Amino acid sequence: MSGLLPSAKEQNKAACHICGRAQDAQNERCERCHTPLHVRKHDSIQRCLAFCVASVLAYIPANIWPIMIVHEFGSAEPTTIFGGVIQFWESKVYSVSIIIFTASVLIPGLKLASLCWLCAVSKGWMKTEGQFATKIYWVTELVGRWSMLDVFVVAILVGLIQVGNIMSITAGPAVIAFALMVIFTMIAAHSFDPRGIWDHIRQNEKQPRPH
Amino acid sequence: MQRHHKQSWPRLLDSSKETACHFCDTLFEVELIKEGEEAVCQTCGQKLYRNRPQSLQHAISFALTGILLFSLLLFFPFMRLDAQGIIIEMPVVQAVKHMFDTGGWFIALSVALFAILLPLFQLVVILYICVPLFYGKTLPYVVQITRTLQTLQPWIMIEVFFLATVVSLIKLVKLADVELLCGFWSLIAIMICIAGAFAAIDRLELWDRIEVALQKRNES
Repeated sequence: MSGLLPSAKEQNKAACHICGRAQDAQNERCERCHTPLHVRKHDSIQRCLAFCVASVLAYIPANIWPIMIVHEFGSAEPTTIFGGVIQFWESKVYSVSIIIFTASVLIPGLKLASLCWLCAVSKGWMKTEGQFATKIYWVTELVGRWSMLDVFVVAILVGLIQVGNIMSITAGPAVIAFALMVIFTMIAAHSFDPRGIWDHIRQNEKQPRPH
Repeated sequence: MQRHHKQSWPRLLDSSKETACHFCDTLFEVELIKEGEEAVCQTCGQKLYRNRPQSLQHAISFALTGILLFSLLLFFPFMRLDAQGIIIEMPVVQAVKHMFDTGGWFIALSVALFAILLPLFQLVVILYICVPLFYGKTLPYVVQITRTLQTLQPWIMIEVFFLATVVSLIKLVKLADVELLCGFWSLIAIMICIAGAFAAIDRLELWDRIEVALQKRNES
């Protein structure tokens, strides 16, 4: 790769992350929209990894505790997230089973893995194509919200089902843990600065590593 | 105050026209592009900005439609459940209240905030910004409000909420006869309106227009 276009940082400029105006990097606030101006997000890798750890910690109780409790004919039956996936699979509703599995197990897992990988790339511990890493980051930021699916499903079922004394559904403690997990991964993705990856690529381009 | 080019949106001539890619920080001059075209970053391949046709008109009409549909969603029943003669039929506002009573404040709050209040707030804010801009004017605090709009955008989860209703429907079909009512259909339409309102106008265009309108106000 040769001849990358110069970055704003190299020209002592910074682009406002809200309105997009590139301006003197010395400005404390954006000259147009008065948002605090940063050349790069502060401590992006540390913050990103810290929120990743927090979301892993929240994910453990989210899977162990019941996410909802079905009260039917005087008996209470708690189900976990994974229990719900299996229930749908066994009752042959494969599509829903796959959707829930994707939203509440696959996406959070892949998201955490890709954020850790992006941090490593940004630090220069791992090598990859810059465009590929950027694409991964874009997808990671985009899909994060879909994990809230399970929280909303429980909320809707709790809100709707109240068939007298015959049957009712209450939310289990895992809902809160799970929602926190999703919110933490969203903040983690938001804290990461993809420009760090390109800073690294630009640096390597300028001074080839001595061997 | 001069309009620079007929095909593009109005901009101030005496201010910086540079922007940097959000993903790789490559510095670019914002060139005037034709309606419907988009600019892509040469370094990382991500979208830089685009020129949407009739941006303000589209944003306003989608936002207005969305707000009207919201009143249907909030106050008209969402679906009718018939479980062995016991009929449940309730609008979203009542369902959230019931969530609050039985499921705890946390899930009631997350549904109310992410799926109802934030989307509704965003639609109202788009109207607040775009209707005056259409006439080249601005209302007070437009800068702060537009900033808030952009900051809160990732937290709108109405499409996730929609998928959740479909999943819970499949669960409910086993327990009761389900009939979809007007609230459900308006949710689908609101989802389209929100996506349309946000896609209608590029952030660079929005801020350029606000800048022009603000300067006009200061001059007069």
